[in-house]
Amino acid sequence: MSGDAYLRLAHAAMAPDRVERLIATHGDVTRVVEWVLSGRSSVSESIAESIRVEASRRRADLAAMDVVFDTDLPDELRGGPDPPRWLFRKGAVPEGPPVAVIGSRRATAYGLSLARRIGMELALTGRVVVSGLARGVDAAAHRGIVEAGGQGIAVLGSGIDVWYPRQNRALGEQMIATGGCVISEFPPGTAPEAWRFPCRNRIIAGLSRVVVVVEAAARSGALITARQALEMGRDVFAVPGDIDRPTSAGCNLLIRDGAFPVTSIEEMSDAIDSVVGPRSGGAVQAREPLWGLVGDVPVTLDALVTALGRPPGEVLAELSLHEARGEVIIEDGTVRLGRLVAQA
Amino acid sequence: MFASVMSAALVGVEPQPVRVEAHIGRPKETFSLVGLPDTSVRESKDRVRAALASSSFPFPNRRVTVNLAPADLPKGGSAFDLAIAMGVLAAAGSIPAAATRVVAVGELALDGSVRAVPGGLAAAVVAARAGVPCVVPAAAAAEARLVRDADVRPVRNLSEAVVAALGPPAAALDHPFSPTRPAPLADLADVQDQMLARRALEIAAAGGHHLLMIGPPGCGKTMLARRLPGILPPLDGDEVVEVATAWSAADRVWEGGSARPFRAPHHSASVASVLGGGSGRIVPGEVTLASGGVLFLDELAEFPPHLLDSLRQPLEDGEVRLARRGWSVVFPAAAQLVAAANPCPCGHLGDRVVSCTCTEGGTARYRRRMSGPLLDRFDLRVVVGRPHSLQGPPGESSASVRERVVRVRGFAGDRGAVNARLTGRTIDELGVEPEAAAMLAAALASGRITGRGFDRVRRVARTIADLDGAASIGEAHVAEGLALRSGP
Repeated sequence: MSGDAYLRLAHAAMAPDRVERLIATHGDVTRVVEWVLSGRSSVSESIAESIRVEASRRRADLAAMDVVFDTDLPDELRGGPDPPRWLFRKGAVPEGPPVAVIGSRRATAYGLSLARRIGMELALTGRVVVSGLARGVDAAAHRGIVEAGGQGIAVLGSGIDVWYPRQNRALGEQMIATGGCVISEFPPGTAPEAWRFPCRNRIIAGLSRVVVVVEAAARSGALITARQALEMGRDVFAVPGDIDRPTSAGCNLLIRDGAFPVTSIEEMSDAIDSVVGPRSGGAVQAREPLWGLVGDVPVTLDALVTALGRPPGEVLAELSLHEARGEVIIEDGTVRLGRLVAQA
Repeated sequence: MFASVMSAALVGVEPQPVRVEAHIGRPKETFSLVGLPDTSVRESKDRVRAALASSSFPFPNRRVTVNLAPADLPKGGSAFDLAIAMGVLAAAGSIPAAATRVVAVGELALDGSVRAVPGGLAAAVVAARAGVPCVVPAAAAAEARLVRDADVRPVRNLSEAVVAALGPPAAALDHPFSPTRPAPLADLADVQDQMLARRALEIAAAGGHHLLMIGPPGCGKTMLARRLPGILPPLDGDEVVEVATAWSAADRVWEGGSARPFRAPHHSASVASVLGGGSGRIVPGEVTLASGGVLFLDELAEFPPHLLDSLRQPLEDGEVRLARRGWSVVFPAAAQLVAAANPCPCGHLGDRVVSCTCTEGGTARYRRRMSGPLLDRFDLRVVVGRPHSLQGPPGESSASVRERVVRVRGFAGDRGAVNARLTGRTIDELGVEPEAAAMLAAALASGRITGRGFDRVRRVARTIADLDGAASIGEAHVAEGLALRSGP
């Protein structure tokens, strides 16, 4: 049964290119597994050992998860270069066009706040946010979607039961609980080894129709992902930054090479519309104009009330409730987005 | 050869009877005045002498002694002239003794005419209590008629005073007070935009909360503050008398009718002029003149800190006690405080149009001057921006805002106080929903508000709930109350 063979091979947690080479050598996944089981293949003993485990036992361990094999993978992913053969998934696949938000793990406070706002904006316009649930920009973007009541997909470089960094476990579980999912090419229990992250990045790029780079250094995983996305023909957006700031160098390079510069959240949203099509029904109605106005730079309550054109009492009460949840800071008659919890 | 005529004086804001006793002794013309008169009262002698001569009454060629009783009450001003003159005439037998059964106040001019003095109101109160008519200068009649049951007899000169004192009761007037039409109050419809500040102003009016507005120069802070009296409920009859009495104590005549007073002392004003004081007689200050209405402090940070400090207690207690060696007076100080300040020394911090030229240190120092306990006493602290547009439609009119304010102020009767003065227990009894209580507790725990702020937010939330027509305080009411304290 070919499903069983897929499951056995997937649990070997091999690098994707290695898997592809084996398949090219032997013909298909079933044949690869047969060769390994009969001891004729040259794979290492540890890999052979995991392939020898019965598929039924693996299934039992995967009770709360789904495994998707190649023909069932999302079209965007399957149509691209080097698609994965399988994906482990926990949670539901959200409806809506996927948009990746990626960036540095060591982002500035500004980068974090912007990533969060972009996450919120995408959620509010009915997009699905794809990111890596890493430190920094990834987590901030995911936090943004969750806060705005949207759904996201977190693509991990480890097994989907291995949270890395560990602090993001709560956020990941929250994403699953709010209708999003966590996916990985690697089987449960896989440790977050450095070489696995570029593999993960190609899935992020492949899965998304648009990639937004918030902050990226000249040599960074985010920049590599963006380049991969460009090669796959995805539209890449980059947030411009100070030319002297290392964390923005990558974004500025992308813009030089033709990425769409993000000069305002609204403009970005409109541009994404032109790529993935107009915003769909439900989520658009849920859009709160408040979040388009509150940012990192303090805006006076007075200006906010005027811009929203709603009764001041209502706006103030709403803001204050957001403040109680730490989402915004009201100070000196101004309001701005709350600080994200410092990322270790 | 003795007669006495009642007159009146204000002790603090309490009208007190003063008995003017005149005695005519042996021939030898002297005129002495006793009973703790100050210099201005002593000058009465010469005015009375001249006024009698001008009115064709002979001044008795005898030893004349006039005593102002009670002797321990400090007396000042010229309001006793008329009573002294009538007492002397009655003691000399020049006029019937019946003419002394009145309360008389008024200053005499040398030609015998009676000049207006601020004591008209005090005279009417004393006269009404004693059940006798009061003779007052024509110009003080309006003030005197504020007092219910007073038989007010306005006069223009000494001869008229004698006739009026003997004559029949004055005809009752149709309109009990305010013949002088107060100037129309500035209307909120003139204020465009400023939605946030308007909301804060309405809440301040409805609950009697102190309000601080921070914003760049020219953004309309003063304009808004001046419109507060117009959305407050008008003074009722008793309150008009209280206000008029307070003004009278400051030697001023209240001409505002039922409109609430609005006082805006300049930041260079002395402590004595704001709180009250004076070396001899104690004169109430701006805080008393504003009692029952609005005390507006523009450029709050420019006021000397000790002045702001000394305002704290009076505004909290609603009265100001001024002590002198051996005695003290209490003036009302139940004013609603509205203050305006710039966000920084140059005034343009956060301004959309003009950029700020202040240093951070300068702004910090400026803020420190306002910070601290006084700031905490403002229930509402809002940042006001420059109006976004001056071409928009006119704002809601004062009359329509006032309807809502009056409705909420109406609850004060049952509750015993306006919302800004409610006790925590009363607020609890009126109802606080669990979510609202939890939000307050969280705000206190996280340091968003202080302990004093806690009570104040609850009071503001009560007012917001009232405006909302809600029976008990909900989460949204607390939330808005918290946001309205977010100024510096």
